[in-house]
Formats: sequence, C-alpha cells, structure tokens
Amino acid sequence: MTEAAARRVLVAGLGNPDRGDDGIGPLVIKKLAGLLPADVAVAPANADVLTLMLEWADFDAVICVDAAAPLTTAGRIHRFNLATDDLPRDRPPASSHAVSLADAIKLSRVLRQAPRDIIVFAVEGASFAAGSAMGPDVAGAAADVVGRVVAEVIRLRQNFNDLAADT
Amino acid sequence: MATRTIRVDYLARVEGEGALDLHISDGHLVKAALSIFEPPRFFEALLRGRNYTETPDIVARICGICPIAYQMSAVHAIEDAFGVTVGGQLRALRRLIYCGEWIESHALHVVMLHAPDFLGYPDAIAMAGDHSDAVRNGLALKKTGNELLRLLGGREIHPVNVRPGGFYRVPQRSELAQITENLKAARDQAIGLVRWVATFPFPDFERDYEFVALRHTDEYPFNEGRIVSNRDIDIDIADYESEFEERHVAHSTALHSLLKRRGAYLVGPLARYALNFDRLPATVRALAAEAGLAAICKNPFRSIIVRALEIVFACEEALRLIADYEPPKEASVPIEPRAAFGFGCTEAPRGICWHRYGFAADGTIQTARIVPPTSQNQPSIEADLEAVAAPMVSKADDVIRSRCEQSIRNYDPCISCSTHFLKLTVHRT
Repeated sequence: MTEAAARRVLVAGLGNPDRGDDGIGPLVIKKLAGLLPADVAVAPANADVLTLMLEWADFDAVICVDAAAPLTTAGRIHRFNLATDDLPRDRPPASSHAVSLADAIKLSRVLRQAPRDIIVFAVEGASFAAGSAMGPDVAGAAADVVGRVVAEVIRLRQNFNDLAADT
Repeated sequence: MATRTIRVDYLARVEGEGALDLHISDGHLVKAALSIFEPPRFFEALLRGRNYTETPDIVARICGICPIAYQMSAVHAIEDAFGVTVGGQLRALRRLIYCGEWIESHALHVVMLHAPDFLGYPDAIAMAGDHSDAVRNGLALKKTGNELLRLLGGREIHPVNVRPGGFYRVPQRSELAQITENLKAARDQAIGLVRWVATFPFPDFERDYEFVALRHTDEYPFNEGRIVSNRDIDIDIADYESEFEERHVAHSTALHSLLKRRGAYLVGPLARYALNFDRLPATVRALAAEAGLAAICKNPFRSIIVRALEIVFACEEALRLIADYEPPKEASVPIEPRAAFGFGCTEAPRGICWHRYGFAADGTIQTARIVPPTSQNQPSIEADLEAVAAPMVSKADDVIRSRCEQSIRNYDPCISCSTHFLKLTVHRT
C-alpha cells in the first residue's frame, strides 16, 4: 500500500439544500472541506446526476451521500457497497427530468462506465418540504457521515479489502 | 353491456402528474381526456408585488429542464414594457444560452424518454444494453448542453446569470473557446442521432394540424419573431390574446389554450420546423432530406427526428455565435422602470412560451400571465389520442395503452410546467 498506488476517488453529495432533509448530501460536502486529500475530487453540489455519471467513469471509486426516504428513524445512516448490494429501485422517479441515483448507477453499469467501487451513504430523512429547514436528527447525523466518508476515502484510495457492509 | 377498465397507475417518462381516460362505447372511441391533477403552482400570483428584477430567478423555477425559456420570455417582456432593446453580442449570448437549453432538453427526451417507445424497451436503461453508443451519445449531448448553460447561466439547473437588459456577467472569448471542441463533437453526435432515429418504425399517421410558431425575418426562431400559423395567423406577440384564449376544463388543473376561431393548435418542433424550414441552414435541410423528411411533417411520431435535427441546428448555431463573439463592454443595458405592460414570447424546446406583465411605475409587478407550451398543446394531445386510439379499440388494452403513451410523449409534455404522471384508464361500455 504505497501512495503511488492511490486510486482516483470522487465524492459526491446529492440533494437539494432548499428541501429540508434532502440537503444532507450538500451539507456533508461542505463539512468535508479541508478534510480530504488534495487528489480526491468533489463533485459540485448541484450536479445533474446524468452528467455526474459521465464524469465518474474517470474514477476508480465513487462515494455518494444522499438522503433516503423514511424507513425507520430519521438520521439513520445506511451504507451500501454496490459491489455486493443493490440500491432499491422500486419507487417511481419524482421527475422524468431528473434521474435517480439508483437508475444512474444501473445505467452506468449497462454502459460499462461505472467505477469498480461505488459506496453510497444514505441518510433517512423525514421532511423534504420545499423551503423547510433540515431536521435536527438528520443534521445531527452529518458529522458521523463526514467521519465515515473520510475513512472510506482512505480505504478506497489504498485499495484495502472491503469492509463489511453495515448500517 | 360489457365494461372494461384499464388502469395505468404510473406513466413513466412524462414530466408532471396526470391521467388519461379513454371512453369506449359499443366498440367506438367516444372521448379521450388528458386529466391533469397536479396542483396548480400559482406562479403568476407569486410574481405579483415582486420587483421586475426578481422575475428571471422566480420564473426559472417553473421548470428544471427549460428554465431559459421562462427567463427569456420574461426579460423580453420586461424590456418591451420599459422600452429597452437588447442587441449586438448580448442578444447573441441569449441565442447561445438558448442553444444550450435546446441541446440538453431535446437530447434527454429523444434518447432517454422517447426512443425506448419506438424500439420496444420499457426504459432507456433496458435500451442501453443493445444501443449503448446511442445512449452514450445522447448523454454526451446533454452534458454539452449543460456546459453551455453553466458557462452562460452560472449553473445548469435554474441558472442565475440572466437579468433584464442582459446578463450579470458575460464570458471572455477564451471561456467560450473551451467549449468549442465539445460542440463540434456534439454536432457529430447529433448528426448520428438524426440518422439513428430516422431508422425507427413510425406509425402511418398524420393529422392536419394548425402549426403555430414564431417566425423571424432571417433566423430559425429562439427569442424573437411574429406569431404565425400555417393558416392565416401572422400577428405581433402583443396581439396573442386576440387570437388565443385559455379555458378551464373540468378534468384538468391546467388551462387549455385554444384558437378562438378554430380550437386546437400545435406548438413545438413540428410547428417550428414547418413554419421555418427555409430558415434552417442548408446542412440541416439536407440532413432532413436524408432522414426522409419533407419541408412539412404532419406525422407527430416523426417529431423525434425533428427534435434531433434541432439539436444539430443548435450545435451549428452555437458554433457560429461563438466564432463571431466579441465580449460586449457592458454585461447589460440600463433599464428604467415605468408604468407599462410588456409582452415576451420565445421558443421553448416544447413550443412558444408567452408572457405578459403589467408593471407599476417603480417596476413592481402588478399582473402576470404565463402561457407555457404544454398548456397550448393539451387539446392537440387529446385530438391525437382520439385519432390514434379510434382505429385500435378492438385491440388489447396493453396495445392501446402503449401507443397512447407513445403519442403523449410525441409532445415531450411538461405537465409540471403547465400546471403547473400519468394514469391511463380505458372505460369500455
């Protein structure tokens, strides 16, 4: 494991900061400032996922942070390693003009443009109302996500063996 | 009397929320109704009391895929009211940013939303396995369109750099030069797209539409022109309300726009193409001929070819504008508000987008009226559906459903814009 062997890693925070808990991705990106190695790329917070998908073909690994629909507890963090897990695609998209992360990953795999490693941190939200503030449970999870992303970047750059999937 | 009902809870690849009801009685189609139930968004009311300077940023929020159309119609209406003309390179930059919007919007629709209909796939992901090069090219086109929007608009979704009188910031030549190679590649990708979609199987179907579009003295229209039709309409945009009206219909939260004298009409690529064929560059006209299109196309399913041709045009136009670009000394021309009405009408990817505003002396918006293209096409969509479904009533519901969904997507409808998905129900009695 030498620095010369470092792999190209992209970190992307998806979501709309003007829609309550949906803003967790951009918030984590903001908090990651200064914490990542200089050669780790960070996608613009407002990137179109289809555009992002074309760009991540240039990377060995991608880490995405996104909000998730309510399932159990607001602020609960789920980690998906897409080498072994699938993102749920059972919900219809909210818009035909915007592609979901799950669909973008599936499409990039069909087109053979997907990085070898894709890790998704999905944070369960509660409120996604336009103009609303982020709830305390989700905002409170941001620091934990930041720490896990930093650890994940270190692992992926050095091509460590995969960590066990956890939630 | 037997009754059959087909229900589609979710029609994919159409923007917005709506439903289609087909009423079939004794083996005859009685009625096709496109029911839009998405809640109204009240943008016109939201604008009242706001300053004219806020308009471009508010109306951009009407649509995430065609914000430039709303921004351009708004700034033209504001400038019309306040007696300002924006010309030269600022006008050219407005055409250039519109090129970006047409490229990204058309590429998304042609490849990701509409092409799967013709090739028998449920979606673009399934299609990508067999047509990976076409999908890659479509995505690359969308990316290039987005790059233009980001460069001139500050960001690709809901751009923030458009203002009444021009822009907040104009690019240097070097910035535009950086995108030139991508645009040249995009032009080649778009030509390939035209040739690909021209091979699709098209239903033998035509209707005698009244096409309505802008027509400019010497340009394929984006921002300016008179409103014309293939019948007898040739009016200034300020006279729109003399020929067109919006009506409430019980089954839709979106207003239906109609010609006062003749009812349904069609806006968008087919109309623009038919009314402005002679304004297209010779290269694009030749490509149209190669794709099997005459100067007028009345088959709505072939609109996918016209959209692809318009991407080629937008790439060529963007390259021309960039080659001729000299940065203007000022990013905008000064504006002094006054009490007045103003009108704006520009060509959104889906057709003309008409705006009217009334301003107080200090520039406060007192009244606003916005007529998006999908509102204007709704009656025509319903007429298409009746004509498409009528000869098919004896076929299986799935066959009817599939063809009707494809017919709706011919329009690339943005229901969210017009109200502001689609259930399909077939009632058989």
